[in-house]
Amino acid sequence: MFLIQCPWCGNRAETEYRYGGEAGISRPKDPDALSDAEWSDYLFYRSNPRGAHKELWNHAQGCRRWFEVERDTVSYKIARSYKLADRNSESGS
Amino acid sequence: MSDSSRRLHGLEFFLRSQQRPDTKASGIHARILDDVTHVNLRGNSNDAEFNRGVEKVLGQALPVEPNTVSIRESHIYWLGPDEWLVVSKAADSPGLATRLENTLRNIHSSVNDISGGQVTFTLSGENVERVLNKACTIDFDAGTFKPGHCAQSGLAKASVLIGCIEQSRTFELIVRRSFADYVARWLRHAARHHGIEFR
Repeated sequence: MFLIQCPWCGNRAETEYRYGGEAGISRPKDPDALSDAEWSDYLFYRSNPRGAHKELWNHAQGCRRWFEVERDTVSYKIARSYKLADRNSESGS
Repeated sequence: MSDSSRRLHGLEFFLRSQQRPDTKASGIHARILDDVTHVNLRGNSNDAEFNRGVEKVLGQALPVEPNTVSIRESHIYWLGPDEWLVVSKAADSPGLATRLENTLRNIHSSVNDISGGQVTFTLSGENVERVLNKACTIDFDAGTFKPGHCAQSGLAKASVLIGCIEQSRTFELIVRRSFADYVARWLRHAARHHGIEFR
């Protein structure tokens, strides 16, 4: 069983969660000013790294909160998971 | 109380379809409850005014520790960092949402009466944990899941809220109304070796 740590509920099975894609992608402030290439980059292009990856998860069958996870895409090892409010600090567990 | 104000669980057909309970080993007692009020409450638990208002109406404080349930006159389940479920069987509970709404009127909060959308089961008996453990990833063992603990998870793929509400291993199981019939049938099947009796 693959366990993911929810910052509120603790370790729970992967089946309780829903994956939310790569983290840290913010909507452009002024979409009208973007070229088509930039807009499609925002909409469709993701980094897909081999190794450390920051991603969004939602504890869908639990507390239904979104949070971020740092996961290694090769080993699946989760380095840490943290609340969105803590995303700019190093203090997550 | 007039009939129209009653809150029925809607599983009368399921109960009628029940075969005679196995009297030699009625190991698990399942009750499907009528007239239970469920109120979904959201707000900021760091806001003293919000807490005061809630305590004034409910007579008990909101649990702020994740996955715990405060068991007094009402059962208040922690659902999220800013979300709770109040479950009450009190005679005046149909007016609970209105009372909360009135008290919290000028405070950033949200109160929703969702009684019609959920069904409450209570499960007791020696082998309840075993049955729940069959199809849920939460460990319901008495050593880890103690009275006052609760968890939202999946039971046989249905989203459920389960709380341990008594020392005598009594669990409250709350499911969406549309899943209630399925969960009841799953329980009857999963617990058949222990003997299960629905009331």
